[in-house]
Amino acid sequence: MTSPVSTPCPSRREFLAFGGALTGLAAVGASAGWAQNQPQVDASTVNGTDHTTDVLVIGGGMAGLFAAVKAHDAGARVLMVSKGRLGASGLTPFAKGFFVFDPTKETLSIDEFTEQVNRSALGTNNPVFTRQLAEHALDRARDLKDWGFFDQTLCHRAFLKPMADRKIPVMERVMITHLIKHDDQIAGAAGFRLDGEEIVVCRAKSVILCTGAGGFKPSGFPVCDLTHDGSIMAYKIGARITGKEWNDGHSTRAVNPAACYDNWGDMFDRVPGTNGVEVHHDLGVDANYVAYQTGNPLPGGPPGVLADGRIGGGPTTPAEFERRAPEDGDAGPPPLGGGRGGPPGAGKGGAPGPMDAPQMGGASAGMSIHKSEGLVPIDDRGASTVPGLYAAGDALGSHMSGGIYTQIGSSLAGSAVQGAIAGAAAADLAMSTKLTVIPDTQLTSIREEILAPLRREAGYGPAWVTQVLQGIMIPNFVLYIKKDSMLRAALAYVEELRDHHLPMLRAADMHELRLAVETSNMVLSAEMKLRASLMRTESRCSHYRLDYPETDDANWRAWINIYQGADGSMQLAKQPFDAWPESA
Amino acid sequence: MTIKSINGCIGCGECVKSCPCDVIRLDPSTGKAVIAYPADCQICHLCRMYCPVDAIEISPDKTIPVIVAWG
Repeated sequence: MTSPVSTPCPSRREFLAFGGALTGLAAVGASAGWAQNQPQVDASTVNGTDHTTDVLVIGGGMAGLFAAVKAHDAGARVLMVSKGRLGASGLTPFAKGFFVFDPTKETLSIDEFTEQVNRSALGTNNPVFTRQLAEHALDRARDLKDWGFFDQTLCHRAFLKPMADRKIPVMERVMITHLIKHDDQIAGAAGFRLDGEEIVVCRAKSVILCTGAGGFKPSGFPVCDLTHDGSIMAYKIGARITGKEWNDGHSTRAVNPAACYDNWGDMFDRVPGTNGVEVHHDLGVDANYVAYQTGNPLPGGPPGVLADGRIGGGPTTPAEFERRAPEDGDAGPPPLGGGRGGPPGAGKGGAPGPMDAPQMGGASAGMSIHKSEGLVPIDDRGASTVPGLYAAGDALGSHMSGGIYTQIGSSLAGSAVQGAIAGAAAADLAMSTKLTVIPDTQLTSIREEILAPLRREAGYGPAWVTQVLQGIMIPNFVLYIKKDSMLRAALAYVEELRDHHLPMLRAADMHELRLAVETSNMVLSAEMKLRASLMRTESRCSHYRLDYPETDDANWRAWINIYQGADGSMQLAKQPFDAWPESA
Repeated sequence: MTIKSINGCIGCGECVKSCPCDVIRLDPSTGKAVIAYPADCQICHLCRMYCPVDAIEISPDKTIPVIVAWG
């Protein structure tokens, strides 16, 4: 990776300023290197708190907001728990386009819209969820308008309004690490508080995962706090996970590639707005194919073809959705993937900045297509294969858009729509269900599992394991331009991390405890991505196999579902497009 | 270095809460925000945007911390 701007080391004065700031902070270790693993928290003195509710909502983004509000409005007692802050973590602060289907403005019917998405997605979308998006998005936009969402650039306050009006409690900066199932029914969840040495147990009749998707903590996309936490917790208690072979194709720029704000600042600073029907076939992987063949950074020109037309082959786009190359003088290269488009194009005039720089692929490495990876739904209300456990938004593998970005602005709107529907469904269930009593022995073993990294005197730091995982998974010849030999090689490495290193992850403090859990979740997600990518012996949408470059409709009009077998091993099974899981 | 400096902090904790990656903490002895885990900063500027007194300065540069082999 090259950059025209060198990365300066901190000056001595800056360095001393950091040191000075940190000396007064006894609970926090040094910022880098071995010293970060010096124990700071005594696991034997960690306290616990216990909370009871009807509906537990995990996650405080767009899906979590609507899940909590609509579950409350359906009559349930609701508790929200978030690893970050309401409206200020995950991808929600970054998403500013909200799709609405306004029948008074559209020339297409909802049927025609759904069919158009289906053609772009090569059948990979679930039309039930695509239609649901179109039917409900306008109502959700109206809710958001009432709360002031479209009048701000930072959405915490707009999100707080409906929560405060309804007196729905929110526990922020609490990381949930375990879903609790007993008697084949969801019974609650447990985790820990980042700001205190405290284990948190939440007992609930139903649980809604609004935990977003995740990546491998890549540089250049604001997804470093998302590590598939919901999917992995759910997988461990028997839920099915889907959509792992798809790839998000967002890029960053060659100047300061790790700086999300500088490369995507327009997205953070913009007031949210709505948009109507605009169906694309935004691959992302096509530009990554060019980067694989020629190296980064990418010059301008249409996806898959260099300016002089040297590069052919690679992923294909249906003719109906081909986009014309930009004319000379157009701003910037075409967007790489993404319902939000690529990084903002070059401004006209003014000093050159990061946004004028060439694009670099792989910024969102580890993330699948929005709404297409996560828990397998068994119905259109976001119920999973675990009774009482629901998911919504990027935590639900609804395949609303399919294995490709299709409708602009649908990611944010889809989270709102699915959150609201799952909220009402989880409330309905809670009203007719008794709280499942969790045996104390089960809670004790969960508590010990949570605290284990704090107790270890020797082992592996999560920062190192993450760095190794990034080295295995992020190369374009593993994650994006796939082939059997490299997928198998990467899988051997990931299995080593899973079996040998995860059991020895250690943490010095609550921050590192969070990193340890996130690292563990990323390793299992990597295994899912590799196994699903090996299994899908074709190329379709954002999944591209160099050794199987054609779309294979005879064998692959199917999604891949991943679940834990009776012996604990990872199992994969096909689910035909347009069908619900057989286990439902 | 990601978050470059915090000057003029009033100790309100907005930045601590709004950092998605848990980079900032309040120093228990001074009550002021400090850059506790700079390696985990994703340079998203949410802390700066939520700060009510514009105390936070951020650089677009990111340096990878040294991690000891087999750490």
